[in-house]
Amino acid sequence: MTEIRIVNLQKEFKDLIAVRDLTITFPSGEVTCLLGPSGCGKTTLMRMIAGLEEPTRGDIYFDDLKVTNMAPSKRNIGMVFQYPVVYRGLNVFRNIELPLIEDKLPQNERKERIREVADIMGIQDDLEKDITQLDNSTRQKVAVAREVARRPKIILFDEPITNVDVDSKDQLKEALKRLTRQLKQTIVYVTHDQTEAMTLADRIALMRDGAILQRDTPRELYNHPNDVFGGWFLGNPGMSFIDLEIVEKNGSKFIEKGFFVQPVRLTGQIKDSKITLGIRPEQIKVTDQPGANSNQAKVVRKALIVGGQVLVTLSMANRVFKAKLPAAQGFPKAEIVYVEFPMNKVTLFGGDGKRANIQMSVVPNA
Amino acid sequence: MNDRQGVPTSRTKPSWFKKAMRWYDNSKLFPTTLLIPVLVFFIVWNVVPTLWMVGLGFYNYSLITGAPEKFIGIKNFLDIAKDDTIWHNFGRTFLWVILTTGIETILGVLLGFLFWGSSKLPGRRLALTMLFTPMLLAPASTGTFFRLIYDPIFGVLNYILTLFGVTPIDFIGNRVWAFFAVMVVDIWMWTPFMILIALAALGSVPKAELEAAEIDRLPWHKRLIYIVLPYGKFILMLGVLLRTIDSFKTMDLIYLMTQGGPGNTTELIAIGLWRKAFEGFTMGWSSALALLLLFTAIAFTSVYLFVLNQNKKQSEGG
Repeated sequence: MTEIRIVNLQKEFKDLIAVRDLTITFPSGEVTCLLGPSGCGKTTLMRMIAGLEEPTRGDIYFDDLKVTNMAPSKRNIGMVFQYPVVYRGLNVFRNIELPLIEDKLPQNERKERIREVADIMGIQDDLEKDITQLDNSTRQKVAVAREVARRPKIILFDEPITNVDVDSKDQLKEALKRLTRQLKQTIVYVTHDQTEAMTLADRIALMRDGAILQRDTPRELYNHPNDVFGGWFLGNPGMSFIDLEIVEKNGSKFIEKGFFVQPVRLTGQIKDSKITLGIRPEQIKVTDQPGANSNQAKVVRKALIVGGQVLVTLSMANRVFKAKLPAAQGFPKAEIVYVEFPMNKVTLFGGDGKRANIQMSVVPNA
Repeated sequence: MNDRQGVPTSRTKPSWFKKAMRWYDNSKLFPTTLLIPVLVFFIVWNVVPTLWMVGLGFYNYSLITGAPEKFIGIKNFLDIAKDDTIWHNFGRTFLWVILTTGIETILGVLLGFLFWGSSKLPGRRLALTMLFTPMLLAPASTGTFFRLIYDPIFGVLNYILTLFGVTPIDFIGNRVWAFFAVMVVDIWMWTPFMILIALAALGSVPKAELEAAEIDRLPWHKRLIYIVLPYGKFILMLGVLLRTIDSFKTMDLIYLMTQGGPGNTTELIAIGLWRKAFEGFTMGWSSALALLLLFTAIAFTSVYLFVLNQNKKQSEGG
């Protein structure tokens, strides 16, 4: 069991800061996904943990051991790369065995471990095959098995699914899921694919521009992003954002009329005269019939998305936003629909794009 | 486009010249014309002499007797087959090719690996540049230099040896040493070439595979076998092929150092041929031998290309 502690880590390339003064701890025995768009520094961070990249500043610790400038071979880590790395001229069994021989394990122990990981990865029938006969996804499974069989304290995955053909992606993802549930190692998993991160992670660390914006369980991160970026990046499509005016009445601050049926009072740290309301498109309730808590909106555009769900673009009090309707509901029948924003699903953001520490309360007769 | 309608443009009907040019551009004549200079050069300097040589191989033709050339069929070839010196020369040449190419390849790969692994060491660039200088020198000057270095009386090598109490050795005048002394010079000259090839081969290895090997803690020789060679072997084979062909025709270097001596202990086939042709002026006989050499070289090349193709098939099959 090893935790990875990163302290004030910075990595600069010629004219680019890839990782910016980063301090974070990856808890031992957990799967942490580094999620972020391309170029956010997630791979660079992982490569520094592996020792394949030297930090410009800052330190990396494995428990209390400082590894900042230690050679990768001395760190006792495993790493699975984006392109399946296999050793040529050897069969699958010998491929997995190769690093075990370097660890000077006795033969029967090696055999046992290889059997075990091969079962988990579903390659038990391929053990005798030559590595060049295998397709990319099986090769990647071999690469994963090889790293796992060694039982290093830390295993790093660098987008292991990205370069596998579409059909095998789910299969490999499933195998990884099985694996991560069984392993007790500390796992850091880099991906730009949110579904992958949502499926595999105990915690997701959301990265942008070399910084970690938020680290939380997938559910928490999805429902309550700390940041407009998190709301936008996660989900398909991302959060709907609506900029609302704050109006003052009798010394209290209220959200402008038209979005909530009853007056909504804001309390807490209100700095600006505007506030951004964020809500997941699927959490917006859209109905054909007027309801007690809904307001009228106009349908601007309709589209069908995967799984039969309907994505509608709505316009309400001159604001345009997206809502997702369940497949069972189907397309809205009229141009005018009725929309309700459930207050407990709404996240408020301040002018700086960060989640605002502001509470909403319904004041019926204000 | 529309606003140009009705406005007379400068484009007029193609004249006969333009028509001809267009036809010429479109026909296959155009690329052929581009090839003509090369073809002429190739035919005049390559094909004609080769055919001439093939023809001469069936004649008895000497430049010194002054007798007219006489067709003698395959007698030249039969004479060569019966000539013990030629067979010895052949044997020596094969030994030479195998030893020099082999040692150059092994040294080249090891040094290349070392250089490539030391990419962060200061002074690496300078060391590489210096390492490549032997290759840039003309074999003639290298031969002359080394003849001086090996000289038993005022050579620097023997001077150093005497400092250690060794009696001077006439390296290139000694029947035992001469062959190896000359070989060392060839290795000195051509190992840099194989380093260059090895570096190119190493450059073709994907970075991630090497990083994975580093993380998997594979020792260097396993990295070489399982990662570097599978990727680099094509380039490496090409280097070996070039070196084999080149060392098969080694001539100038040895001629300047030993002239094939002492006795004929360093007489490679190319030197033997040169002597017969330009010291003995037996043109017919020499042409026959040259033809045999040509076939040997072609055979060598074919074997390599065959192996290379087999390798390629194997890795493509996977």
